[in-house]
Amino acid sequence: MLYLYRLPGHISGEKIIKVLRRDVFILIKKILLFLLLLILPLILFYLTVASIYPDILYGEISYPLFLLVVSFYYLFLWVFFFFSFIDYYLDIWIITDERIINIEQEGYFARTISEQRFYRVQDVTSETKGFFPTVLKYGNVYVQTAGAKERFFFQEIPNPDQVRDIIIKLVERSKAAHHS
Amino acid sequence: MTFPLYIFLIIYLVFLLVWLIFSFIGIYHMIKFGFLNFTTFFTVFIYIAISFLMLAVSYKYLIQIDWLMNVTIFGDLSSTF
Repeated sequence: MLYLYRLPGHISGEKIIKVLRRDVFILIKKILLFLLLLILPLILFYLTVASIYPDILYGEISYPLFLLVVSFYYLFLWVFFFFSFIDYYLDIWIITDERIINIEQEGYFARTISEQRFYRVQDVTSETKGFFPTVLKYGNVYVQTAGAKERFFFQEIPNPDQVRDIIIKLVERSKAAHHS
Repeated sequence: MTFPLYIFLIIYLVFLLVWLIFSFIGIYHMIKFGFLNFTTFFTVFIYIAISFLMLAVSYKYLIQIDWLMNVTIFGDLSSTF
């Protein structure tokens, strides 16, 4: 398990400033899709199959098959929703007073933990694009570091402008401490 | 062609085994990589509770079927539906 008081590559005296996940709207979208996939087959079944073949629920073969298919569909829908939640829940960005840590679950049995120290940060950019991100105030934050090919990427986090400001302040403080 | 109805049940049980493996992997990831907090344990609890409920409902209906019955397909299609 992950303990907030024992982060990966723990630095003594390190304080956590912020723990971020994707915006809650991303989770709501996943829940809405799940609910749609939960209800849609029932509606389609009653509108199409049940009206065309009303005996399907009474056939010697069709009824057992119907039960097996329904059970299979809902069990797998449930497990895939659980996977979808795990993907949301286990992707975390942690801002401490020393560094930023990205813990990303990339499918199963594949997990990436990366970190950037603030004194190496050169540029921080926040980006809010689209209708929902603008209205609901979520977006991306890119952190460019010296010599790094890829930018550090906070994806669909709430209040990206505020997060950018926090990182910039911590970068300035860290650079001042390194120069003194 | 005649075959026992439980063939479908065996296929279903194979998929159920796959589902169990997926569930185990999901729960393992939550417990191994999730934060030690209420949300992690509550989510795992809800997942297991609803899974049990779904399995219990499936069992309740599937137990009523005579799976030893022989089925003939491509013979008389009218008995299929």
